[in-house]
Amino acid sequence: MTQNNFSQKLYPAFRESIIILAVALFIAVVFNSFRSNNIPLFGFSSAALIKEQQAKIPSITLSEAHDLYLKNKVIFIDARDPFSFEEGHIAGAINIYPDEVLLHAASLKTKADQGFLFVTYCDGPQCPLSKETAHALILRGIPTVKVLVNGWSIWLKSGYPVSKGKK
Amino acid sequence: MKLENLPGSSIPLLALICRFALATIFFYAGIEKIINPGDFAVAIYNYQLLPDCAINLSAIFLPWLEVLIAVSLVAGIYTRGAALISALLFLTFATALTINLVRGLDISCGCFGAASGNINWFYPARDLSLFCMSVFVLIYDRGWRYFFV
Repeated sequence: MTQNNFSQKLYPAFRESIIILAVALFIAVVFNSFRSNNIPLFGFSSAALIKEQQAKIPSITLSEAHDLYLKNKVIFIDARDPFSFEEGHIAGAINIYPDEVLLHAASLKTKADQGFLFVTYCDGPQCPLSKETAHALILRGIPTVKVLVNGWSIWLKSGYPVSKGKK
Repeated sequence: MKLENLPGSSIPLLALICRFALATIFFYAGIEKIINPGDFAVAIYNYQLLPDCAINLSAIFLPWLEVLIAVSLVAGIYTRGAALISALLFLTFATALTINLVRGLDISCGCFGAASGNINWFYPARDLSLFCMSVFVLIYDRGWRYFFV
């Protein structure tokens, strides 16, 4: 097929595609405005959606988490910053900030396949980091995640094993 | 009306078969997404490629575009335009899937509504095959008039 012949087909195709796009947009907007389960054209809120998704992540109680810790069936993920982690963390925990999940995803997936439960924690009842890390883990195909709310404080207060330093 | 050019060159016939295959895929995909636009908006958001302001509009517009492409391809009206959009759509889908596979996100494809399976490398490969089919239709389709007089 010559270049000229191809161009001859492509120009009408552009014209036709613009007409199809315009008609589709018109039908879509009109149909959406009349249907019962319509959605606002520009009203999507990712912040609200993330909050909703994070609220669905199950939490775990301190005693349940400790039981699993003793049975060696849990991996704690400390979602706080590295400095807080070095000052003290649950013994055996890994430090994964929400943004760093991708770096650890492959190794964590292997652990998840071996039957480990992941428990994320940070410090303070309103601390968002544990939920953010848990959410990022779920997004990367690791569904066995629970949140220990106010985890660091309650673990420390109970006198359960802790470590200092980078590991 | 009588049948023309059959049996003849197999290329226009192959283009016709591709048209029908693409139309079936687009029609099914479009209808599944039209049923629940809210879920499809979440599927689009999960790709993390579009800003918030473009997500709902895409979720409303894209399914109808797919249905309209299907209708055009079957009816033989604006077939080349439909094939061109089809090719561009499949290229976009394949790129979006590849980006998220590289990112390591484990998200629903959303290809046929929100209940589609999670993404893997089969999906961009499938979209690239469909892209090739669309280009084939764009270049070689001869319309219904080739077969009927």
